[in-house]
Amino acid sequence: MELQTYSGPIVQLKNVTKVIGKRTIIDQLTLDLPEAEVFGFLGPNGSGKTTTIRMMVGLMALTNGDVIIRGHSIRTEFEKAIRHVGAIVENPEMYKYLTGYQNLLHYSRMVPGITSQRIDEVVELVGLTSRINDKVKTYSLGMRQRLGVAQAIMHKPSLLILDEPTNGLDPAGIRELRDYLRKLAKEDGITVFVSSHLLSEMELMCDRVAIIQSGKLIDVRSIRHEGEAAAAVSNVLFEVDKPDEALRLMASSYPGVPAQNGVTFMVDRDTIAAINTELVNAGLKVYGIRILNKSLEDQFLEMTGGENIV
Amino acid sequence: MFDFLLLVRNENMKLYRRVRTWIMLGMITLLVLAISIIAKIVSDGDVDNWSMMSIETMVLFQLVTIFTVVVSADSVAGEFSTGTIKLLLIRPWSRSKILLSKYISLLMFALVQAALLYVLTFVVNMLLFGYGGSIVAQETFNSNMNPLGYMLVYYFYQFLGLIIIVTMAFMLSTVFRSSGLAIGLSIFLLLGGSTIAGMLSMLDYAWVDYILFLHLNLTQYMGGSESSGMTGEGMTLGFSLSVLAVYYVVFIALTWLIFNKRDVAA
Ligand SMILES: Nc1ncnc2c1ncn2[C@@H]1O[C@H](COP(=O)(O)OP(=O)(O)OP(=O)(O)O)[C@@H](O)[C@H]1O
Ligand SMILES: [Mg+2]
Repeated sequence: MELQTYSGPIVQLKNVTKVIGKRTIIDQLTLDLPEAEVFGFLGPNGSGKTTTIRMMVGLMALTNGDVIIRGHSIRTEFEKAIRHVGAIVENPEMYKYLTGYQNLLHYSRMVPGITSQRIDEVVELVGLTSRINDKVKTYSLGMRQRLGVAQAIMHKPSLLILDEPTNGLDPAGIRELRDYLRKLAKEDGITVFVSSHLLSEMELMCDRVAIIQSGKLIDVRSIRHEGEAAAAVSNVLFEVDKPDEALRLMASSYPGVPAQNGVTFMVDRDTIAAINTELVNAGLKVYGIRILNKSLEDQFLEMTGGENIV
Repeated sequence: MFDFLLLVRNENMKLYRRVRTWIMLGMITLLVLAISIIAKIVSDGDVDNWSMMSIETMVLFQLVTIFTVVVSADSVAGEFSTGTIKLLLIRPWSRSKILLSKYISLLMFALVQAALLYVLTFVVNMLLFGYGGSIVAQETFNSNMNPLGYMLVYYFYQFLGLIIIVTMAFMLSTVFRSSGLAIGLSIFLLLGGSTIAGMLSMLDYAWVDYILFLHLNLTQYMGGSESSGMTGEGMTLGFSLSVLAVYYVVFIALTWLIFNKRDVAA
């Protein structure tokens, strides 16, 4: 295929704008989605996540701007651009009077090269093997979500767009999906674009998160994962019996901040151990050491002002 | 691009995997059997198979039209109502081709029903009333044609009208995106349209001649090319066909235009 030669961001949103009536619902959104990453799209209710996704897959026309997928514009080369996209937009609505398998067969006929082995493979992967020949109307919400994921990955897309995919999944299902999406990104080099307002969920799943509010992009930030944690600096609380003495003791090497029941320091992993040794050597009692990193949730609420739906 | 026929196959799968479709085909079958058997019981041997075939066709082709209109009106709107349109449109196919695959499968459904009706009314009535020879047929149809050929022409004319009305339902389906509204309005126009047009045709305005519903029943021209029915004097088959053609082009153009332009916010 012609794709092999293309390098650069898999997906580019350029000044994407949507105006309905007089309301600007999406305002000049510009975003590059790199290859092999799970990219989160975070925003409160009504901030425009679904609308953006609708424009990315060509369901809604763009008022202005463009979406480029593997070098093809969704506006002018829809068929070429969409060829590399798998998606769930809002709820995964399937034909209820067909079985799960017939639904997948239906979508498989619309993209060349999907064998029946491939269908069986994705059915197995999403854990629906035992129910795949039942009518979809007998499925639970989580099972429909799984079938939705199956149709989205069936044709091995290079961009996978999932609008709130964990909606309706049980904890085990969420975990499986999370692990699977990370695996898709890391091993198969797929770009996964996931929207959610489950913030803690995004932290575990994504490499990077774009935050949108009232149709405007307000921030894009990277998220650390376990492996990289060692080098990173975090806010650490030391619970000690004499906070004032601890502060004075460390003042020259590591400036601390008094906190309830102790002192906090902005330090990396190795320094935590060093501070601990010094405190203990000085005869202080250390009752506990805790990393106080603000979760993305706190940052998010701080940024969006924890406000109500606009 | 690869096989467009696979899209039609998808539409057919969605159509024939529904119980509704089989109820419709079952009703046609049962009604033919019921009408013929009742006629056999109450008549005292003076009924021939051709007149039975002709009467049943006249009544039941209306049913075929209604069924096809219902399925057409639901065709696009149903996908919007249930939200399945989203997953259908994010495939490497233009909206025009997806719409075309739906339209083709609808016309095929109409053809299946018409063929079923034709075969059933012929076979069932022949078994019950025997094969009436050419003299009987000539009396029934008032024509020298082969009776099966005559019926075929009758079906052809009926089918032309059906295509127009089904295309209108298909357009309403695309415009309203709600199955209930599209089905309701289509059936209302189908059943009420000819009544209203019939009343209007008594008025003496020039534009009355261009009302769609006056031209849907082309079988009125079968005696000759001059109209014998409600269309009134002076109408010809050619005129009716021209009016229908204009409506058809307008319906098709609007349907495709709207479907291609619309934002999908289902
Ligand atoms: N068809 C439409 N016509 C007018 N306004 C619309 C339309 N669709 C969406 N909106 C508005 O656009 C804004 C963004 O909606 P959108 O569904 O994209 O939000 P979202 O971020 O997906 O929210 P949620 O988290 O609740 O799913 C909302 O204020 C909504 O009212
Ligand atoms: Mg949404």
